[in-house]
Amino acid sequence: MAGLGDFENVVFDPRVPVYLQVVRHFKELIATGRLRSGEVIPSRRELAAMLNINPNTAQRAYKEMEEQKLIVTEGNKESRITTDEQVLRSVRSELIESEVEAFVRAVRKIDVPLEELIDLLQRKYKELAGG
Amino acid sequence: MIELIDVRKRYRLRQVLKGVSFTIRKGQITCLIGVNGSGKSTIMKAIMRLVPIQAGQILIDGKPRSGADLYERVAFIPDRLTMPPGMKLSDAIRFMQEYHRRWNEARSRELMAFFRLDASERIGNLSKGMAAKFNLVLGLAQETDYVLMDEPFAGIDMFSREQISKVFTSDLMEGRGVLLTTHEIGEMEQLLDRAVFLRDGVIVRDIDCERLRDEMGKSVIDVMREVYAP
Repeated sequence: MAGLGDFENVVFDPRVPVYLQVVRHFKELIATGRLRSGEVIPSRRELAAMLNINPNTAQRAYKEMEEQKLIVTEGNKESRITTDEQVLRSVRSELIESEVEAFVRAVRKIDVPLEELIDLLQRKYKELAGG
Repeated sequence: MIELIDVRKRYRLRQVLKGVSFTIRKGQITCLIGVNGSGKSTIMKAIMRLVPIQAGQILIDGKPRSGADLYERVAFIPDRLTMPPGMKLSDAIRFMQEYHRRWNEARSRELMAFFRLDASERIGNLSKGMAAKFNLVLGLAQETDYVLMDEPFAGIDMFSREQISKVFTSDLMEGRGVLLTTHEIGEMEQLLDRAVFLRDGVIVRDIDCERLRDEMGKSVIDVMREVYAP
């Protein structure tokens, strides 16, 4: 279950559309299992208050998530995380892929051979995971 | 929608507003940005008919403003509390109740509790932050379609600012059209729908904040720097 803390203290980048950052935050919560299949999520207004964002932006984020089939809203009832396992699994792979892509783009600028990069990656990964 | 169309205002020889046009839409928070002395407060006072304008039109939902009707549709929260210091908060509330037909008593009690204000206190004894909060109570307890807030965050501490910004996401603001001026744009940025920039007496930029981020990858502060850089 997602706790209150998962929707507070989110730091927004002022140069990126807020609604996209909200969608991204939900995807992270889904990918890490803090939001589970079928779980009820806050109302739009509750979310706006918790994240201290414009209620119209919260509305737009929910609309976007409905279009991406991440959440479902039946009539006037509360919104829930989808129970479609395929969608839920794809959230995780999508996040990982986009991060890895950003990483590869960044290091390619410094011309690191793949071998060296993999070595470095393994070392750093252990270092950070251990710390 | 409140529409300002080519509004011109002169204080003696100084032309403050040289043809200001923009709109305040219902259900949106619009921020009016400008350096000190640029005429932000004058615009709010002009909407409220507290200062006369020399030319232009101000329409509320398509119609010109008329006296009593104006106060039922638009609440104005000036940059400082205008009630006499000897008055108790409860007296000021009673005064508002008698003066404003759209006063909502339940809402005023709710706001007093939210801001933890003591109704038996005298206005003169309020700290700056408390006075700013009480000022908001007096404005927001009016059930109007539009709210104008002049510098609601000026000179108050961070925690009070956070508390006040909570008001913007609450159902107190639902469906209302809000116009505010502030210097604390950084903290407010993600709360805004629109930002209009006033410079040299005219609106030089009128932006949809999410579109600005989406299409230009810029923040409201970035635009501020562009507009006001010396």
